[in-house]
Amino acid sequence: MTALKRASIACLVIGLFLPLDARHVRIDASAPQAPQASGGLPLTVPNKSDSLKFAVLGDFGTGSKQQYELATQMKQAHDQFPYNLVVLVGDNLYGSERPQDFKKKFEDPYKPLLDAGVKFYASLGNHDDPQEQRNYKLFNMDGKRYYSFKPDGKQSVRFFALESSYLEPQQVAWFEQELKDSNSDWKIPYFHHPPYSSGERHGSDPQIRSALEPLFLKYNVSVVLTGHDHFYERTKPQKGIVYFVVGAGGQLRKGNIDTKTGLSAAGNDQDQSFMIAEINGDEMWFNAISRQGRVFDSGSITRRK
Amino acid sequence: MARRGRLIVLAMAVSAVTAACTRSSSPPVDQTKAGGPGTGTSAAPTQPVNEDAKALAGFLDHVNQYVTLHQKLENTLPKLSKESTPQQVDSHQRAFGKLLQDARKDAKQGDIFTPESQAVIKKLITKVFSGPDGASLKASVMDENPGVPNLQVNARYPDEIPVSTIPPQLLEGLPKLPEEMEYRFVGNDLILMDTHAHIISDFIPNTFVR
Repeated sequence: MTALKRASIACLVIGLFLPLDARHVRIDASAPQAPQASGGLPLTVPNKSDSLKFAVLGDFGTGSKQQYELATQMKQAHDQFPYNLVVLVGDNLYGSERPQDFKKKFEDPYKPLLDAGVKFYASLGNHDDPQEQRNYKLFNMDGKRYYSFKPDGKQSVRFFALESSYLEPQQVAWFEQELKDSNSDWKIPYFHHPPYSSGERHGSDPQIRSALEPLFLKYNVSVVLTGHDHFYERTKPQKGIVYFVVGAGGQLRKGNIDTKTGLSAAGNDQDQSFMIAEINGDEMWFNAISRQGRVFDSGSITRRK
Repeated sequence: MARRGRLIVLAMAVSAVTAACTRSSSPPVDQTKAGGPGTGTSAAPTQPVNEDAKALAGFLDHVNQYVTLHQKLENTLPKLSKESTPQQVDSHQRAFGKLLQDARKDAKQGDIFTPESQAVIKKLITKVFSGPDGASLKASVMDENPGVPNLQVNARYPDEIPVSTIPPQLLEGLPKLPEEMEYRFVGNDLILMDTHAHIISDFIPNTFVR
């Protein structure tokens, strides 16, 4: 079975079928928005009772109006799709990291989610102070700069939070050992710097790729979650692995997706966004949702075996 | 003996990544042959030790002295718990930084990065950055890294400046640091950062041509 088949993707974008080799989709935020379904967001995830449900957010901690507006959509999504964890792909707080910043840039915008018992699991970006954040209880890092965890529930999933701005040999060795020791069906690494990205500002990070991709391939990783570039992008499978850039949780770099890279399966560089996902058995379903409440990318991924 | 073993490890690391290090590293010394019990003499080196490795070992000695001070001062502060609030973490970090700054008020550039080690580390950086991936490595380091004018030893790392990426390829060659310390670039200056106190402990200026 080819890697491509193993990671087959059925992609539905706002009701349109988007073939794998399609260019990314740009959503013009200034264009008239399609009305939301009266019941809330037009989510397309199956929302099954025993599935693992989670959200992905990155590059968010600005304290801006846009961050708060996206947080409102995250709460709306939670009301319809009760995820109980959010993985953070870094740049969790921009600028100063005084106690009042943790409140303004994290605790206040996500208070409804925190109050609902949603747990956030952080990884560190280049704007994050490791000492402040790894000891911040609400980031669930347990004092560590990189760590892994297995969510409760019936699904066989383990997440691996890495610190990509400082991939020292010990961290890489730790990561390999964790992958080796894990018997989870889904092994999902998440970190800040994208091995693959169409960002004109940053783009693919070849150093991170050369350090980590061999491990992803060796241990059957199917999906990698990253940020850093301030937009949303889902790549076409790269050696069978789908890479997500979810870097517009508060920041946004409009028009920054380079259409010439050939990497994109879908993208949005016109509005802030986050992603929800659902794992049930060998399938992971995902929806990417904009600040204005549009589900602009969705589909499912079959895990590699 | 421990120091000699470390020199050997460093020599192997240096020789692996620097073209300048052409001499082969010393093999591990068999302790039973290096000075028997009851002889009253210390082990005499039986083979030459790579000069670059010696320079890096000198650097690590200074790092260890710094970390000893770091730990001594940190132990005078209340320990952070898993329940610590951002206020407590921030206060702890700033109080710790003040203790270090006071204890090292006369610290100057080159105290930890000894002149000999600076030369070796610059050589390593040049080697890595002049390789086939050099341009992209440099770009990675310089991403969102404008530098800071008048970088000062013992100053708090600027809160508004993101930290640079240190390429894995470079970290493979640099001496391994204790958990309390890490390397970062500020512009093209390589700094040694105290990660608990958010303090610039030392730096090497102009490590590469931008």
